[in-house]
Amino acid sequence: MEGSVLVIGGGIAGIQCSLDLTELGYKVYLVERTPSIGGRMAQLDKTFPTNDCSLCILAPKMVEVFRNPNIELLTYHEVKEITGALGDFTATILKKPRYIDETKCKGCGDCATKCPKIEVPNLFDMNLGKRKSIYIPFPQAVPPVYLIDPKLCLKLTKGVCGVCEKVCEAEAIDYEQKPQDIQLKIGAIVVATGFEMPAEKLSLRWGYQYENVVSALEYERILCASGPFGGHVLRPSDHEEPEKIAFIQCAGSRDLHEGVPYCSSVCCTYTAKEAIITKEHSEKSECYVFRHDIRAYGKNFYEFTQRAQQEYGVKYYQTKISQIREDPETNDLLIHYEDLKTGEFKDFKANLVVLASPLVPSRGANELAEILGIELDHYNFFKERSYFNKLQSSKDGIFLCGFCQGPMDIPETVSDASGVASQVATLLNSVKFTQIKEKEFEEPEKEVKPSEEPRIGVLICHCGINIGKYVDVPDVVEEIKKLPNVVHCEANLYSCSSDSQERIKEVIKENDLNRFIVASCTPRTHETLFQVTCQEAGLNKYLFEMVNIRDQCSWVHMTEKEAATEKSIDLVKMAVAKARLLKPQKEETLNIIPSALVIGGGVAGMSAALNIADQGFETYLVEKDNKLGGILNYLNILSPIQEKGSIFLNEIIDKVKKNKNIKIFLESKLENVKGYIGNYDIAVCDKEKVINDFKVGTIIVATGGKELKPNGLFQYNDKNQNVITQLELEQKLKDQNGAWLKNINRITTILCANSRQEEGITYCSNICCATAIKNINILKEIKPELEITVLYRDLQMAKKEFEDYYRQRRKDAIFLRYDLTNIPEITKKKGVKENYEIKVFDTNLQEEIEFQTDLIILSTPMIPADNLEELAKMLKVPIDKNGFFLEAHVKLRPLDFATDGIFLCGCAQWPKNIQDSISQANGAAGRASRFLSAKQIKTSGLISEVNPDKCIGCGKCVETCPYNAIELLDIKMEFEDLDLNIKQSYINSALCKGCGTCAATCPVGAISVKHYDFDQIGVMIDSYLLEKTKLLEEL
Amino acid sequence: MTKAVSKVEKEDFEPYILVFCCNWCSYAGADLAGVSRFQYPPNVRIIRVMCSGRVDPAFVLKALKNRADGVLISGCHIGDCHYISGNEYTRDRFERLYNIIIKQLGVNEKRVKLEWVSASEGKRFAEVITEFTNEIKELGPLRK
Repeated sequence: MEGSVLVIGGGIAGIQCSLDLTELGYKVYLVERTPSIGGRMAQLDKTFPTNDCSLCILAPKMVEVFRNPNIELLTYHEVKEITGALGDFTATILKKPRYIDETKCKGCGDCATKCPKIEVPNLFDMNLGKRKSIYIPFPQAVPPVYLIDPKLCLKLTKGVCGVCEKVCEAEAIDYEQKPQDIQLKIGAIVVATGFEMPAEKLSLRWGYQYENVVSALEYERILCASGPFGGHVLRPSDHEEPEKIAFIQCAGSRDLHEGVPYCSSVCCTYTAKEAIITKEHSEKSECYVFRHDIRAYGKNFYEFTQRAQQEYGVKYYQTKISQIREDPETNDLLIHYEDLKTGEFKDFKANLVVLASPLVPSRGANELAEILGIELDHYNFFKERSYFNKLQSSKDGIFLCGFCQGPMDIPETVSDASGVASQVATLLNSVKFTQIKEKEFEEPEKEVKPSEEPRIGVLICHCGINIGKYVDVPDVVEEIKKLPNVVHCEANLYSCSSDSQERIKEVIKENDLNRFIVASCTPRTHETLFQVTCQEAGLNKYLFEMVNIRDQCSWVHMTEKEAATEKSIDLVKMAVAKARLLKPQKEETLNIIPSALVIGGGVAGMSAALNIADQGFETYLVEKDNKLGGILNYLNILSPIQEKGSIFLNEIIDKVKKNKNIKIFLESKLENVKGYIGNYDIAVCDKEKVINDFKVGTIIVATGGKELKPNGLFQYNDKNQNVITQLELEQKLKDQNGAWLKNINRITTILCANSRQEEGITYCSNICCATAIKNINILKEIKPELEITVLYRDLQMAKKEFEDYYRQRRKDAIFLRYDLTNIPEITKKKGVKENYEIKVFDTNLQEEIEFQTDLIILSTPMIPADNLEELAKMLKVPIDKNGFFLEAHVKLRPLDFATDGIFLCGCAQWPKNIQDSISQANGAAGRASRFLSAKQIKTSGLISEVNPDKCIGCGKCVETCPYNAIELLDIKMEFEDLDLNIKQSYINSALCKGCGTCAATCPVGAISVKHYDFDQIGVMIDSYLLEKTKLLEEL
Repeated sequence: MTKAVSKVEKEDFEPYILVFCCNWCSYAGADLAGVSRFQYPPNVRIIRVMCSGRVDPAFVLKALKNRADGVLISGCHIGDCHYISGNEYTRDRFERLYNIIIKQLGVNEKRVKLEWVSASEGKRFAEVITEFTNEIKELGPLRK
């Protein structure tokens, strides 16, 4: 069995999976067929719903992959052949010729500057930008190595030119390179090949053939500051700023006749994002969204689409598009559409049209499926093993993650990537850490004594033109060079590139530096990168300081170059002042107790517990109910597989009960949690009211959700048998035969009952529509003569299966559309039978409809489980405004809490279906078991410390500490011949998070916050103000 | 000094303003303002601290002593603190600081401000800075 894994595809799925795999103890070969990792996420401008800059949050991960000693990065490689089976696969990988020796190329770009060949469209910029025949796909590419396009290069096609070879000082050009096969032995394979957006395949009615009709992915490049138009929203035809921009939803998706039958699932939300960013770029631009249903599938996504309308004034029209034509004079577009709110056909003139065209599996998926011997589904996505295990392919040892399995957003992709990593870990458990190299810094850490004169090095980043265009970088360099203790200062193009890391190390060594400063972008994304570089050069990472002149100078003072430059100089000077006082800090090593606590015994909790237990770690599963299974206990048939929920439930409960590593506590409650990552003391009160104490290293929160009972709404109360919720219907269908339907002839299902409101519950629960559609069909099967009406606002049928699922069932009911301004009215009819009259304004027909019904089924939102505040306090983790737990980062850390060592999954995070709960649970288990596998971790050096000589034992700090990290100890002190009993504060370094609140509270200044201590901040204030006031006085 | 002259002086006046931002919300908000290219006056210099709770009143007093024309402290909204409750101490401490500023130093209370800005409020960050800078410009330089 091999302790290594082949990951195919270097997008965010492959990147996250590779990083997690190495932490779990496996060597990774990451194969990417394009010249750089990063995938689609690297092409995006921002990411919803936080509008974080996409590459800003991705680039640190790309660099992490690049510098990880346990990841062998094989870009511009392709998988040719796979033989063998789980545990012992052999892969043949084709190494395509770059015509450049990647070990020699420094990525300087001199070759491309001199390359004479006329420019051709750049694929990374969706062919909107240009590149030479020797090129790098984008400036932050990883690896930062150029390549030659053999079809264009004059030397390779005609044997003339050869300029690049002459100008390359690194002598990296090699025209003789040939394709090469390499063989790898691996234990498992992960497929993460992603998607593409082939808008050119759309039929002509969508107008993609016109210059000013672009695909949404092309529009991302247009929006992007580093894109082909430098972040100015311009039309491709004339490079004029468009005033009216139309975003067309479902352009080819959900379409049986052309495009794809499924819903691409992410378009509604990214369109809202693109429209918001457009408005932010230019307030006078007008954004119009031609929508069908709103399917913002994911946490807080629906609210995001509402914000686009309410805060940014993006106009949404509910339409069907019939044709888009061009006005040949102006190159404007005429959109001919049906207004679904009025039934009228109208024309709309736009200056630019953005198509949300279908997202399909990347080209070559069919060939890859053949090479791997795995199945595809009928949409050409890779087929998952079963509904309950979407991470596994049809073949043992081959896993799937990300969009290649089906439409999904980035957080789900990241969760799945972690889930795949943990599934690999359960399979290859016996060969963990057999092929792994420890990350060791070759350079021993240099001792820096407080008495030593500071020798500071400063790097000022141009960030391409991002800083360089708006800040006079050479001027900054000159000013900083003048400062005392600054031994070296230079500028560079991209300080985050990997050749810059080499340069930093070189500079530190050559100048014997003992402090280092980078002035570039935000430390929130890039500090770690530079800290590691410093460590590689033998410098303690706390001797590094970062200045953010991009987000705080160049980007926010774009028209004031002089002021932005002056501000940059000041900020760097302040950092230099602080740097002089920086001290090396130690990080402590903590041992991890190799066991886990899982809170919640529903599907998510059980799946997480099983995964961790299967990796050989002891797991405690605590459930408040008297049985395992959570909501699944009440479900009848599961959509879209149409299988009884109890079959899967019984199987998984059986597995959990039989697993010798899992200890189950039923009817039990978490009483107390004390401690910190790796070392938690847990107290659980069991059903005998006995307190069980045990220790765990990590905690997973899987407390699930519950259905809202809408008392008082739509005549609902807990006694009324004729107005019930969807979950109550499930129970009836599950537990009773059809006899209860005997007197019922007309049923009305109301969707969005109390969800997607303007106040109160504003979110979409994502799963209710599919459940309702499932149940109308089941009811019809029991009693075919039933008349069913569905009152809906939008139908949430995201993900690959559900559009077809709905299509097959829509004949079972009459669908009437209502909106928030006209909530259906229900009145109870007096009579023998329970009978209700419903009045609803159907927006499709623009008519008020009245009808009678015998049974009303309400699809109400899923809400968080009860008493989460108490648990949140105990674990010290946050809850969001809707009451669900709040993850560390909604995009790239969806399963982590900000507090190390605690993770979340399932409906505790957000409403989701069984499939997503299971794969998220696997992901959380993977994240948690990284620590358990590693056996120890390092704590941060950014913590507070008490100076015992100054402490007066007042205890104010103890009260303020939010983490209970401070204790007041009784200390005996000898004073002359007296023994004095005094009190003194003590800070537990493992619990301290370094917020520094205690330091600001201490009345005698006895507490210092490492790296942010009083003097360090003090000199920053002085540095800026004293110099200025001196200037003033001179005037 | 005539009114007209004093007005001209105010318009020319470029104040020195220090801003303390917590790492998790306000600094991220400033980043978002950057990424979104929201423009604001270049008079501020940001000092990053992990939590607004770290901002020792002594820092503010030191800045005023060094003739900062304005000091802004910014942290997560109450309830959103990355360190659970650090910003609540900032708020309480700030009230006490106010008394010192007004009663003992005689500094106009408008020169020191506390504002909550979240990581998603790039636009708000730019607005807060613009507004504060304009207020300080209106007040004129801090004279001793």
